[in-house]
Amino acid sequence: MGNVDFDFRPSVPVFDANVSLGRRHDKRVSVDDAEGTLAAMKSAGVGRALVYSSHAVNWDAEDGNRALLEMVRGHPGLVPQFVGSPYEDLDAFAAQVEDAGVRSVRMLPTVYAFPFREWAIGRWLDWMAAERVPLWLPVSYSTERPWNPRLTGSLDPSDVHETLSAHPDVTAVLCDAVYTDLPWVIMLLKSTPNLYLELSRFVSTDGVDVALDAIGDERILFGSSFPDSSMSPQLYHLHRCGLSDESLARICSGNIDRILGTE
Amino acid sequence: MDTPIIDFHAHVGNARRGRHVADPDVYIRIMDAAGVDKACINCIWYSDASVGNDLVATFVDRAPDRFVPVAFVTPYYPDEAIRELERAFDQLGSKFLKIYPDYFGRPNDDPAYFPIYEWLNDRGLAVMSHPTYPFDPPGTTMLKRYSALSERFPDVTWVFAHAGGAGSRRLHGAVEAARALPNVYLETATSESNDGAFEYLVGEVGSERVLYGSDIPVFDPRHQVGKIATSNISAQAKRNILGLNAMRLLGLEF
Repeated sequence: MGNVDFDFRPSVPVFDANVSLGRRHDKRVSVDDAEGTLAAMKSAGVGRALVYSSHAVNWDAEDGNRALLEMVRGHPGLVPQFVGSPYEDLDAFAAQVEDAGVRSVRMLPTVYAFPFREWAIGRWLDWMAAERVPLWLPVSYSTERPWNPRLTGSLDPSDVHETLSAHPDVTAVLCDAVYTDLPWVIMLLKSTPNLYLELSRFVSTDGVDVALDAIGDERILFGSSFPDSSMSPQLYHLHRCGLSDESLARICSGNIDRILGTE
Repeated sequence: MDTPIIDFHAHVGNARRGRHVADPDVYIRIMDAAGVDKACINCIWYSDASVGNDLVATFVDRAPDRFVPVAFVTPYYPDEAIRELERAFDQLGSKFLKIYPDYFGRPNDDPAYFPIYEWLNDRGLAVMSHPTYPFDPPGTTMLKRYSALSERFPDVTWVFAHAGGAGSRRLHGAVEAARALPNVYLETATSESNDGAFEYLVGEVGSERVLYGSDIPVFDPRHQVGKIATSNISAQAKRNILGLNAMRLLGLEF
């Protein structure tokens, strides 16, 4: 008879590496504020979450980042992540990051329509390496924009490999990779040692096991893509991968703590 | 909790372009890790349906207590389809039919499928397919499509692949059809784990016509089971979805 855990709780501390915060223009998400996110985290056994602004991703990094700081104020379990736009002044952005105590940046070549190439963002990557600010890179961003399919394109793996290889001191996290991305994602991870994998949409059969075989457990981060997705299913999955407690802890919180410097 | 878990949506076959290999021992290992008792397996990747149905049979021979055979036929070869249905169900023991109109380029309410449905209708069998297609005519809804099909083939049970737990637009359309049509079931395999989807689904349709499916080897059953196990619905609803409904629909016993 099948064995299933209806009362599942994670057995290790959990730091969710991929949560968006705030209302969306294109749909009403199940949770759109800090209080609701914290309640969902408590229910799922998630202690901390790295949160970015939906508005910053979709429309305006500066406005969204400012709103994010307002939303997370007084909630230490919500760790803010800024969205960076290469069209903005890097020095001003760097000052905002430092003032806010933000420890990571998300950039979206597909949504903000810039190539992930040295000539476009090399200076930004130099800054990230110098300040040890890790970069989150979504493979795609599945906002519903039927009037502009260009904005739903996918990250170019060759760009990622070549550009990150030229900046080996930058730590980057590939996030929102989906099941169809598995073959090239595994090749990219193997060939790009400063690239990590976030797992929220990586739900291919044996995908986690294949990633572990390819790069070990120190470059893999649990994430949920909440509130688009629930927080618990991928945690449930990870707890059934036969991982040691140490390995599970690294994936669920240790690795992100290490790269954010929040250990 | 020990409860029957039956995967209603499983594919087998070699598709190495996606790293999929037809190895029953790999399936059993992953099913064990997910706590899955049985997987209803089909093979839709061969242009000759009989090749796929025979491959399914090899899995069933390897572990008859773990794999439930599901037939596949294609309307590209209508002269073969009925003969293959008879072989798949009467000789290989198939429990329901899987079709894949996406390959055919015409939706599942195209008349090319009607002889197949007539055969199913005579036997009171179920068929699973995607309920919508990229090439659907404007104005198509699941309710319209399946109302017409149900009227024409009243003894067929229609299973919407990927519909019970999918993105909001498809989910709402599937719920609308399932509320109106008692012979519609909703299968749950999706790459997404939409927050609140199962709570909405059970609230609108109830738990008796929702079927757990993984789409293995595409999606990992551990994640797909986890979506149901960790949702905020009753334990009985979870048990229904995970296996009891499939047992009832297919006449399976443990």
